[in-house]
Order: sequence, then C-alpha cells, then structure tokens
Amino acid sequence: MSDSTSTQQDCGSTLGFLVLRAWLGIRALVTGIEKFSDVRTVQQPLLDEAGKPDPSGAVVEIQQKFYSFHSYRAIPDALRDKFAQEPLLPSFLTSPFYAALGWALILLGITLLLGLWTRISLAVMGAIYVALTVGLILIKQDAGVAWLAIHIALIAYALQLSKHNRFALTRS
Amino acid sequence: MSSPLPANEPAGLDRRAFLKTVSAAGLGLALTRATPAWAQAKADGSVSPNSILNIALVGVGAQGRVLMDAVLKIPTVRIVAVCDIWEYARTYGQRYLKKSGFEVRAYENHHDMLAKEKDIQAVLVATPDFWHAPVTNDCLRAGLHVYCEKMMSNTIEGARSMVKTMRETGKLLQIGHQRRSNPRYLVARDRLIRDAKLLGRITAANAQWNRAASDDLGWPNRAAMSKALLEKYGFEDMHQFRNWRWYKKYGGGPLSDLGAHQIDIFNWFFDTTPTTVIGNGGRDYYPNHEWMDNAMVIYEYHLPEGVARAFYQVQTTTSAGGGYYEQFMGVNGTLKMSENPKYTSIFREAAAPAWDEWIRRHWLAAPTAPASAADTTEASSEKVDARETAELASYRLPVVLNKAIHQPHLENFFNAIRGTAKLNCPADEAFKSEMTVFKAIEAVEKKTLITCTPEDFAV
Repeated sequence: MSDSTSTQQDCGSTLGFLVLRAWLGIRALVTGIEKFSDVRTVQQPLLDEAGKPDPSGAVVEIQQKFYSFHSYRAIPDALRDKFAQEPLLPSFLTSPFYAALGWALILLGITLLLGLWTRISLAVMGAIYVALTVGLILIKQDAGVAWLAIHIALIAYALQLSKHNRFALTRS
Repeated sequence: MSSPLPANEPAGLDRRAFLKTVSAAGLGLALTRATPAWAQAKADGSVSPNSILNIALVGVGAQGRVLMDAVLKIPTVRIVAVCDIWEYARTYGQRYLKKSGFEVRAYENHHDMLAKEKDIQAVLVATPDFWHAPVTNDCLRAGLHVYCEKMMSNTIEGARSMVKTMRETGKLLQIGHQRRSNPRYLVARDRLIRDAKLLGRITAANAQWNRAASDDLGWPNRAAMSKALLEKYGFEDMHQFRNWRWYKKYGGGPLSDLGAHQIDIFNWFFDTTPTTVIGNGGRDYYPNHEWMDNAMVIYEYHLPEGVARAFYQVQTTTSAGGGYYEQFMGVNGTLKMSENPKYTSIFREAAAPAWDEWIRRHWLAAPTAPASAADTTEASSEKVDARETAELASYRLPVVLNKAIHQPHLENFFNAIRGTAKLNCPADEAFKSEMTVFKAIEAVEKKTLITCTPEDFAV
C-alpha cells in the first residue's frame, strides 16, 4: 500500500469518525434538551393577514412548545407507567436513572461535540442505551429495541474508529 | 366618597374594575364614540350611571334563568325587574338576583311592569311561545328594545306581527338564535365555508338533536297556581303550564323547540331558504302529549352552485346517534358543528386541496392523529368493502368560546342598543327560519311534500 493511499484512508477515517461523533453528539444533546420541553395551549385573538382581529371576536387555542426545568420528563409517562409495573425494574434503580437521564444526555452531547473524553463519553452513552434496552425488552417493545440496537451499533463503530479522533479538546 | 355607580351595583365591581372590564370587552371606543348619551364617558374618565343598561326579564322559567345567568356576567347591564305569572318562579328570580347583589322588582304580568317601570331600556322575553308575540309587541310599542327567545311565536301570524311591530316602532328586536353570535359558528361559516371554500360544493347537510326520554315536569303542590289564575293567562291546568312545549296551543313541539336552532343554521349557512320539504314523524311514545315526539324532515335548497338537500331529525325518546350537531357535507370536506365543541370536527376528503394554509391562519387545527394516516395502506386494509372510502382525517376548529353560549348573542343585542353593532338575528331574518320550521311541521303532519315560495318568507 502506498503512502498516499494510506493517507487518504486515514483522512477518510478521520472525517468519518468526525461525522459520526457529531451525529451521536447532536443525537444525545437534542434528545436531552427535548426532555425539558412541553406543549401548552394558549389562547389568542384570531387575526387576519394584516394582524387585525377577526370581526367575530373569535379567540383561538394554539399549541405552543416551551422549555422549562419544571417540564422535565425523562421518558414519556406511558412508558414510565409500564416500567413501573415490571418487577425487575425496582424504583430504587429507575428513579435515579430517570433523574439523571436528561442531564446525562446533554452532558454527553456536549462532550462528544467538543471532543472531551470521547471514548469514555461513547462508552457511557452505550451503557445508557443498553440500560434503556433492558426496559424495552421487558415490556416487549421490539421495535424500540431494534431502534436502540442501531444506536448501539453506531456507538460500537465509533469506538472502533476512535483512534482517528481529531478536532477534539482531549485525546483520550 | 360617593360612587357614581348605582347603589345596588354588585359587590366587588368598583368604577376602576368596571372601566377595566368595559375596555377589555372592546367597548372602550363605544364609551367615547357611541351616540346615545347614556353610553358616553365623561371627559374626566368617570362613567355616567346611565351607561349601564337597565333591563327586565319576562318569564323566569328554565330558559329565562339561562338568560339571567348570562346577563349577570355582563357588567354593563343590570336586571331591574322580573316578571312571571307564577309566583314561585318570580320569587326564585328575585331571590337569585338578590344573591348576586341586585334588588329587583317583581311583577305578575308585563302590563303591570310596563306601567310602573319607567327606567328600563330593554326587555328579555322568555315566556312560553304563545306569549312571545303579545309581550314583544307591547314592549316594542312601549318604546323598549326586545330580545325574544325563539320560536318567535307558535303561529305564523304571531311571528309576522312581531316583524311588523319592529318595523313600525323602529325598535330593535333580536330573536334568540344564539348560534348566530357564537364566534365558533361565525368562523366556521365566514372563514371556512365562505372564504376558504373548504368544503367545495356542498351537496348535503344533516342535523339532529336526539334527547333521552324524560318524565313530564312537575311542581311543588304548595306552589300550584289557582285555576282562575291559569285561565287568566291562557293555560288549561298546571300540568299544561309546566309542560307547555308539548301542547299545540302554547308551543310548536320538538321541531320548534330543538329544531328551530338547527334549521336556522341550514338557512344561515346556505344563505337562503328551502324550496321544498318532506317529512314524517309522530306521537309514538308519550300518550299524553299533543305534539310529535320524533320527526324527520328533508329540505331541498337551491344554492348558486346546485341543489343541496338537508336532513333534520329530532328524537325525544333516545339520546343515541351522537348528540346534537349540524353537519354540512361538500365534495372536499365536511363540517360538523355543534355548540358543544366535543361534537365539532372538520373532515377532509382525501382528494381535497391541501388545508395547510388554513391551519397556518388558525382557522383550523391539525388533526391529533397524522392526516396522512387516512391515506396509508394500513387504513385501506381496514375497509370491509372495496367501494368504501377510507376514513377521513379529522381536523379541529380551534376557536373557543369562554362564555356562556347565550352571552355573545345578548352582548350583540346590548351593543346594538348602544349603536356599536348590528343585530345578528333581527326578527325579519329570524322569520325566515320561523317559516322554515312551520313548513316542516306542516310536512310532518300532512306527510306530503310541501313547497316553499319566496313569498312565504317575506313580511
């Protein structure tokens, strides 16, 4: 193999890992932030295109998305209720997991995007998805399990490519 | 410090609160521009006592109490007198208003009331139907504006006389088809059907009011009226007085009581009157009633874009069939309206042009389930017959009414008195719906096709 071919392969792997790291970082960051979102219904006058109130005086209800610490939900309520019925998921384990999940994803997203402790971040992210997989297996959400498996595969591949980690704040 | 408000103003409503409420209700301009002197604010910002409308309520039965509750939510109007032939009802009204902070005078009949009350601007009439015309005509001739419950009368002649008196006296006569002032209905008609043409060509409509069987109304024995008093006011006995809606000399039966509201919506939304009506119905369940307890009628309307047929049914023996609603069906979609938002939906035909623009303008709200669901193979697989159309996507009407359903119509009436609005349902307009109902009753009774001519609807 010539030097130039090897350099091109290294460059490709570096860029490939960069893209993968960015994707996983964004995936974790935005998913974490979304756990602090909610939708509220607000009422406002029905306005025409010029901004004038409708002659009927109508008031419309509009769904408005917002973010707040108060809105934090680690997982949807329906899923949480199902997990609560599982004997293998005792609350002393799930409660701290729920409390940390959103913050952990945000933190992991930031570390991956910045390239801070990349391998550790990837490994922790993988562990979180494995933990979620346990719950989904127990409640027989096969589609969800498959969905998480794709993430796990990407994380595993990223760990394999991590020796090509560049544009990172730390080398570890 | 003396207050410019009358002494019997409800507790908790001071001048500042009153001005704030008036301003919030969009009457700020009215206070500075309205022509009647009693509706004007003083230059120093204080409000003349005359800016409050004094009104009387004639008929303190079930519907009168609904109106009373709605009026109590309007701070610029004050009930000063109630009138009812039944002492039990008028005492109730008097005490109920007293609890709300109003001292009102009570009268047995409207003649006494008109003779003694010289400081009222308007009257709400919620008596049994056969008293609507006499009371309304007398009040109009006494120089008062009138809000009269529908039906206008139990006779065509009575209804016609009300329109004539309104025209002769130049006073306002609003008929209580309250849906005409409901912003949910106004947006549905004016924005969705007229401006957006959301439904495409409307080919059919149907409406219904199905109500569970119920016992006749009773009364406390101690509160029974004497035979002489009942006869003085045209009633045969206490049972007929309490259940007047079921007897022909007092009212118009279910097609009139429940149907009039919804048949009025056919006319209002189609902006025309029917050309024919055919019907069937009968007194099948309640042996002691005179009026039919169920009826089904079909009107034919000639719209500019073609013929549309409108089916109406009223059932007083079963609540099955999805409650009460008015539904307009077009080639592009269907609008199912009801005063109750839970019965309201807008359905889009799969081949209809996109509705995204109307969602953006907040005339519609996106369906809770994805709109595309109706087009999926999964949805198609749910068909049990190849000729079946896939289930339609259901959109919401985002308009909300944060008031009692009669309040906007009453507010429209009071604003019209102040000169800041036009009546949404003046008597001559309501007469067309009145006649449309009478035609349906005739069709049911004769079990034949009845033709309607433009002259029928003219006064």
